[in-house]
Amino acid sequence: MSLSTRLAVVLTMVGLISAALLVGVNLATRDRIAANKQKEIDEAITKVVPGSRVSEKIYEEKGFTLYAGKDEGEKLLGYAISAATGGFQDQILFIVGTNAELTRLNSLYILDQKETPGLGAKITDRNAFLRFWEGKDIRQRLMLRKPPVGMDELGPTEINTITGATVSSESVLAGVNGALEKTKRLKREGKLPVKE
Amino acid sequence: MAQRTMWRDFAKGLWAENPVSRQLLGMCSTLAITNAVINGLAMGLAVGFVLICSSGLISLIRKLIPSQVRIASYIVIIAAFVTIADRFMAAFFPPLSKALGPYVPLIVVNCIILGRAEAFASKNPLGRSLIDALGMSAGYILALVVLSSIRELLGNGTLLGRKVLGAGFEPWTIMLLPPGAFLTLGLLIGAAYQIERRVRRRRAR
Repeated sequence: MSLSTRLAVVLTMVGLISAALLVGVNLATRDRIAANKQKEIDEAITKVVPGSRVSEKIYEEKGFTLYAGKDEGEKLLGYAISAATGGFQDQILFIVGTNAELTRLNSLYILDQKETPGLGAKITDRNAFLRFWEGKDIRQRLMLRKPPVGMDELGPTEINTITGATVSSESVLAGVNGALEKTKRLKREGKLPVKE
Repeated sequence: MAQRTMWRDFAKGLWAENPVSRQLLGMCSTLAITNAVINGLAMGLAVGFVLICSSGLISLIRKLIPSQVRIASYIVIIAAFVTIADRFMAAFFPPLSKALGPYVPLIVVNCIILGRAEAFASKNPLGRSLIDALGMSAGYILALVVLSSIRELLGNGTLLGRKVLGAGFEPWTIMLLPPGAFLTLGLLIGAAYQIERRVRRRRAR
C-alpha cells in the first residue's frame, strides 16, 4: 500500500469510527436532552402561571410563543409568553406569566442566557432581579430604576437595575415590554381564543 | 522502580509540569470559566474525561497512525470525546451544561489535550499514558479550583454558592470579570515560580 493510500485509509477509518461513536451517543442522549428542554418549559409555565395544570400553545411565531395556562376545568388562569431578546452576549430566552386580564405580571423566568457570569447572569437570580418583576402592573410599560432602591420604594411599574449589568437589565426589560405589548395587541385583534 | 516511574508520571502534572501554572496551556477556558468554583470543577472534570479517554485511545493506536496525519487523527478523536462529554452533560447535568455554555465544545482546542497526545501518549504505552493523563487532569482541576475559589470568594463573597464572607464585605466585582481572571492567574503563576525557586535553592544547599 502506497503512503498516500495509507494516509487516506487511516484518516477515513478514524473519521468513520468517531462518527459511529457519536451516532450512538446521540441516539442514547437525544430523547433525554429534548425531554429536559420540554420539562424546563413546562415547569416554567406552571411557575409563571400559578395553579395552572394544563398549558396550551395558542400562538406561535419566530422568537415568540404564547401559552394559555388553565386549571382542570379549562378555565383560563393566565398567559405564559416565551420570547427571545438580544442580550449583552447572545439571545436571552425568557418566559413571563400574566393574569388572564393581562393587567398584572405574575413572575418572570429566564430559560436560557449567556450573559457575563457573576454580572449579567444575575438576571437569573431571584433575589437580585427576578423578584422585582412579581406582581407588577402591566397596563403601562415597565421601567428600570437606576440606581436600585429598596423593595418598598419601587413603584408599581418599576424594576431595579442590576448594578454593573445595565445592558442585560435593559435587554430583559425591552424583551418583556415587547412581548407584553404583542400579546395585548393579539388580544385586541381578537386573535386569542378568549374563554375567561 | 516501576512504582517510582508511575508516581513520577502522575505527580509531574500536579506541580513540576502543571498544565496551567507551568506549561501555560489551556488558558482560554482557565481564564473564562473560573468565576465560580462549581464551573471550575465541572470544566476540570470534563477536560479530565476527554484527556484520559483520548490519551488512552491515541496511545493504543499510536503505531497505526502515520506521522503525516497524526494531528488530524488526534483532533478527530479529541472532538469525538468532547462531543460525548457535551451531550452527556446536556442529558444528565443540564444546569452545569448551561453554566459552561460554549466552553464545553471549545475543549476540542484546549492545547493540554493535543499537547499530551503529541508529547506523551503518541510515544508511550497505554498504562503510562493513562497515568500521565490522570496526573495532568488532576493538575488542571487543582489549578482551576484554586483560581475559581479566589475569584468567587473575593468577587461574590461565596464559595460553591454558599455565603462565606459576612454582609460587611463589599464584593470586588472586577474579580468576576476578565481582568480579575488575568490578575489572579498572573499572581498564581508568579507564586508558583517563587515557591519552586525557594525549593530549588534549599535543595542546592
